[in-house]
Amino acid sequence: MNKRIRRLGIFLLACYIALFAMLNYIQVLEADSLNNNEFNARGTLETLRQPRGTIETADGVVVARSVPSNDRFEFQREYPEGDLFGHITGFFPINGRATGVEREYNEQLAGQTFEQELRSFADLFVDRERTGNVTLTLRDDVQRVARDQLGQRRGSVVVLDVDTGGIVAMWSYPSYDPNPLSSHDGEEARAAFNFLDPASGTSPLRASSYQNVFFPGSTFKIVTGSTGVQSGLVTPEEPSYPVESSYTPPQTTRPLSNFGGSSCGGTLFAITAVSCNTAFARMGVETLGPDRMVDGAAAFGFNQVPPIDLPGAVESRFPVDFADNLPALAQASIGQNDVSSTPLQMALVAAAVANDGVMMAPHVMKEIRDGEGAVVDDEPIDAWKQPISPETAATMRQAMLGVVADGTLSGAAQIPGFEVGGKSGTAQTGNNTSHTWVIEFVGPPGQKPEYAIAVIVENQPGVSENTGGRVAAPIARAVLEQALQGPAG
Amino acid sequence: MIGAHRRTTELGLIVLAVIVVGAAYTLASLGTEASIPANVVPFLLVIFGLLIGAHIAVRKLAPLADGILLPLAALLNGLGYVWIARLDKDLAALQATWTALGILGFVLTLLFVRRMRDLDTPYTLMVVGVGLLLLPLVPGVGRTINGARIWVALGPVSFQPGEFAKIALAISFAAYLVRKREVLSMATFKIGPFAFPEPRDLGPVMLAWGFSLLVMFFEKDLGSSLLFFALFITMVWIATQRATYLVLGTILFSAGAFFAWRTFDHVQTRVTIWLNPWDDPADKGFQVIQGWFSLAAGGVTGKGPGLGQPGLIPAADTDFIFAAIGEELGLLGGSLILVAFVLMVGAGLRIALTTDREFDKLLAAGLTTLLGIQAFIIIGGVTRLLPLTGVTLPFISYGGSSLVANYVLLALLLRISDDSTRRINEGAAA
Repeated sequence: MNKRIRRLGIFLLACYIALFAMLNYIQVLEADSLNNNEFNARGTLETLRQPRGTIETADGVVVARSVPSNDRFEFQREYPEGDLFGHITGFFPINGRATGVEREYNEQLAGQTFEQELRSFADLFVDRERTGNVTLTLRDDVQRVARDQLGQRRGSVVVLDVDTGGIVAMWSYPSYDPNPLSSHDGEEARAAFNFLDPASGTSPLRASSYQNVFFPGSTFKIVTGSTGVQSGLVTPEEPSYPVESSYTPPQTTRPLSNFGGSSCGGTLFAITAVSCNTAFARMGVETLGPDRMVDGAAAFGFNQVPPIDLPGAVESRFPVDFADNLPALAQASIGQNDVSSTPLQMALVAAAVANDGVMMAPHVMKEIRDGEGAVVDDEPIDAWKQPISPETAATMRQAMLGVVADGTLSGAAQIPGFEVGGKSGTAQTGNNTSHTWVIEFVGPPGQKPEYAIAVIVENQPGVSENTGGRVAAPIARAVLEQALQGPAG
Repeated sequence: MIGAHRRTTELGLIVLAVIVVGAAYTLASLGTEASIPANVVPFLLVIFGLLIGAHIAVRKLAPLADGILLPLAALLNGLGYVWIARLDKDLAALQATWTALGILGFVLTLLFVRRMRDLDTPYTLMVVGVGLLLLPLVPGVGRTINGARIWVALGPVSFQPGEFAKIALAISFAAYLVRKREVLSMATFKIGPFAFPEPRDLGPVMLAWGFSLLVMFFEKDLGSSLLFFALFITMVWIATQRATYLVLGTILFSAGAFFAWRTFDHVQTRVTIWLNPWDDPADKGFQVIQGWFSLAAGGVTGKGPGLGQPGLIPAADTDFIFAAIGEELGLLGGSLILVAFVLMVGAGLRIALTTDREFDKLLAAGLTTLLGIQAFIIIGGVTRLLPLTGVTLPFISYGGSSLVANYVLLALLLRISDDSTRRINEGAAA
């Protein structure tokens, strides 16, 4: 029997070696990916057993804080502003991963960065708070105006500081209240989560401003125009596109029309002011061609995820294969076909034009200080891209100023005492409705613009070119007025 | 000489185990409460006292027995206690009581089983074993907890008779097989390429298979079913030296398992979770995934005792205690547990190899298989090497029946070891 017993020993040893291998697989090989798994709540939950830093707006309104709780987690995360900053702060669930700033800056909020740990080690005998308090670039007053202006219409408002890339306001309706989702009662939290229908593409949990894409419509003509000027093939003087009511691209017999069958044409400023479809379609197909258009869109950040300091940002899309499909290129040149963009991306386009062609990396963090007021982390002011030269940017600014002075945005976008440039857009979605857009920049007369904005109001009735100006422009104006005015008091 | 040497080693190792457990207890308390536990000295005195009691019992009742098994059990039992205390203070008090009862069971077993041949009675213990196994199915006394009908409640006391049934069946099986190994080794009855003994002699094996299926079907206890069948097949194989039984057993068990999978929702669910827990990470796959997260959080060196979040795993103090320890002691601590079990298996099989009596040999191998396979089944379930089946991790998990039964099992192994060494000594002296 001894021979069998030895074999049994070998078999059992093999069983335990398999267990050891499995342990190595989980604890070494797969550890990182498991620790970063989206269902893994450990990293963030750990920090609920200690106080956690606050998140506040640039104008000093607390939007997330920890209050003591009498349960096993010891601290409850609270969001005093409810849904106003839900898409920015994110929420802090006990049975899943945190989102938004709560996730992005978790280590700093929890005081777990290497520097913070080091400092706390030095402070072994001093009782000091080492958690970080995050100050956002967002302003409560501007965000609030954006919410009030958009009201109960689906849509988004994104305001950027063109100089730094700091996000001054970013509101999407519908939003959500992070409080019930962060409940320590797991059942309650799960019910709140399921109620928001996370699987749906239009769930309030998704921040439409940077997590959903839409046809940009005519606002995209700024990318087309910028690409034309940057290539040297388009100047304010030429070419002058024919005045016509429709244009039939090569490879098709289906004509592409202007809104309402109107006729338009001419040079860059004229066609931008009236948002001439036929002229921009010709620019894309005949003046520039597929390669320059694809490169131009990529230079502006299409087909790349913007480097924003919030999790889950999506890329805006511009098709890359037009070789055998010039009709599609004609449509893409005016922001239709398979072009789709986040509101954030279109705000970045306006900001790049405003900022001498430099597109700053968008971000929501202004600074992080520890309990003693020492700076833990600084505003990440970095250029993301330079799609166009300062000269091209100056030309495009002129074109966009013309849109507001006597184009499709005249009467809707002017702000007394400031210079406003913009572009409206109306993207047909079928059913006689459209997404209405504006992108704008604003600043003191004769100087570099301060703010850029993108506004989209989804699924509005009507499809005329004026819709964008009529619906979205008043929202942009109210929000920008608040931004320029500065916080009350 | 051998005896004295073994007892000194045993005492030294027990002291070492108590030091390790005491350190872990203090660290875990520092981790959770940020203070040195006020009761650490009484705690250490009590466990040290219990273990010294067990040690003295071995000294008096089985002085020549192996000296490694008891310290290993002490280490595992102690570490288990530390993590139970760290997860749930109320359970810790109960587990301390169970530990005392377990050691009492250990001492009583050594006291009453003075010679192994007293146990060499196949049929009585088989009846006892089967009776215990089926007890939970008796209306009135049986209880279903968490979907498994493996509990018996008598007044305020509830226990899992299956934990004791496995020992009774191991003993009766050893006794039966030793008597029948001649006929079972002879294959006269042929089915295709396989040669079998007469169906009459094979009867008990088929009966065992039948019972393990019964357990699987009616008590919904997959882990125990697997454990019993592994035990029977291993023992038949060792006794008869015929690999046919391994093949046959595997085929029969697979057929049973396949049938169970086709017939029962809960079996299907288990298999589905095993194959793809990520399909439903918030509900069905939750426990296994949380176990993985827990282990991954521990990494190589662990979060440190008391500093992890094992409370996030459902059933962390019973089925998933290995994940809790793996989170806070890391790969190093988890490997320590594995090594402890490998050493126990090694010591048990060495006892089986050394003894010259067939019954003792077979029983030692059987008991060691029980211990080794049970730990393998549950750790395999937690790490997703195997489908998850709820059996306790010997000496570590919370649970009275399991702890007492495993201490009894340990005492039997020590008794076999003592008997065998005594005979060798006498042989050498003669």
